[in-house]
Amino acid sequence: MATVTNWIDHLSAEEVVGAVYPGAGSSETLLVILGIVIWIGWHVITNNSESNELSRLARKKHGANDHKSNITDW
Amino acid sequence: MTDQLGALTTIFTEFYYWVTVVLMFLIHVGFCMYEVGASRYKHHQHTLMKNTMLIPLVTVTWFFFGWWIYWAFPTGPGIAPSIMTESTALITDDSTFSSKWYLANSEFMAINLGDHISGVFWAAFLLFSWTAASIVSGAIIERITTFAFGILAIAIGSVFWTIDAAWGWHFDGWMLKILGYHDAYASGVIHAIAGGFALGVLVVLGPRIGKFSSSGEPRNIGPRNPWLVTVGLFLIYTGFWGFYAACNIPIFDLGPEYGMEGVTYWTATNIYVTPTTLSGITFNFLMSLSGGLLAGYVIAKGDPFWTYSSGLAGVICASAGNDLYHPIQAMIIGMIGVVIAYKLHYWVERKFKIDDAVGAVAVHGYAGFVGLVICGFVLNGYPSSGYSVGAMWDGSTYASINPLGQFLGAIIMFGVLGMLPGYIIAKVLSGMGKLRIPREVEIAGLDYEMMETAKEDEKAVSSATR
Repeated sequence: MATVTNWIDHLSAEEVVGAVYPGAGSSETLLVILGIVIWIGWHVITNNSESNELSRLARKKHGANDHKSNITDW
Repeated sequence: MTDQLGALTTIFTEFYYWVTVVLMFLIHVGFCMYEVGASRYKHHQHTLMKNTMLIPLVTVTWFFFGWWIYWAFPTGPGIAPSIMTESTALITDDSTFSSKWYLANSEFMAINLGDHISGVFWAAFLLFSWTAASIVSGAIIERITTFAFGILAIAIGSVFWTIDAAWGWHFDGWMLKILGYHDAYASGVIHAIAGGFALGVLVVLGPRIGKFSSSGEPRNIGPRNPWLVTVGLFLIYTGFWGFYAACNIPIFDLGPEYGMEGVTYWTATNIYVTPTTLSGITFNFLMSLSGGLLAGYVIAKGDPFWTYSSGLAGVICASAGNDLYHPIQAMIIGMIGVVIAYKLHYWVERKFKIDDAVGAVAVHGYAGFVGLVICGFVLNGYPSSGYSVGAMWDGSTYASINPLGQFLGAIIMFGVLGMLPGYIIAKVLSGMGKLRIPREVEIAGLDYEMMETAKEDEKAVSSATR
């Protein structure tokens, strides 16, 4: 996985390769796919969670000033 | 990098943009404070988290496709041929400035010893993206779902503003060539588009419960904590300094760029590669800020919320031409922008029942629009960009700055790329039932359950003996 194992060899090469991260040249597309899956997944998870939270709170039908009884002193 | 001067120039440029990014982070800190101060107690936490989460959402999508759009779309596509490829298609070829190098799986979108600029330049533009999304965030507080805001933030932050930057900022942008569009510090490219987008969303979203009486008279829902709002706006001013610096190229030899044989002319330039100075734009930043504050204090009768916002609106209005204006021109333009934005805000509120909770459409949208139009008159005849004078580029394809071009540019920014997409996306989200929180939740407060839990914890802790 290591792209560089010896910096002197790497920097004294006839043409220095710029990309030095692990998996350079072979893993980028896979990483992008993984990143997009994480991004879309985040939306799905948070959307479900928010919908449940809003439905639960809506059913309780609190008044506009009810929250004042929940103001903490600390 | 093997020669010392080249290395120094490159690493100075890299460091310069890096510093602007850090400074611009303060814009977002300011927006978060501002929104919390403007929202009511029962909505505080959700308001803060909504704005905070745009940071990762816009960042990852800017990495995946936003930055690529900037480099791919300058020709429209289909409107004006590229000076690099002579084609009106998307720029995806192998040329030096092609979008190909900015695909998310490109080796230049990572640590690369051969590229010291892409990352910091990407980040500078990303901070502009956060700003665009954050402008929208303030207008719609206390009644939008976090899910819907996330989608809208990505749309404005990673898609529509980057298209407008490709059209109106990129050296190959069709608006520079055909319209002579000039917008050095983003009156339109950031502010008018974000203000327009917010207005489009607000039309669909509707006002907060209680904002308008049964007869349609607007009621003031003032900021719960005006002092947090003012500190937030001070931080936004501070970050705006970084924004101005980030819109410049810090060190550039215009001689070879302009094809002037044997001439060396090192200078800072604006984003269009025409000469300006950090010193000069510092004059103009402060004078337009002052013009906005002076006008805002008078027109809002000393109201701190509007006075501070007017300082920002003053800078925004003068920004299109602040690379060239005289400081007193900048001051007067800032004053004009504030008066128009303030009057329009209340007219639109009454006429169309639009509830813009923080005046974002006015401060960013109207002031930005007006600033573009004024720039067309004051800078009429100036080259819109450095590319119109260069031998390196085809000099015949760039119009000069002119009133009509700037007016059309303002309509494109505010209306075509701002308000229209905002309206359409909000309509779709509304149709899915995902745009607005339930009425009962809006009345109770988004933070109700969190507050209730905290109160129960408090009771339990205070009655505990061990």
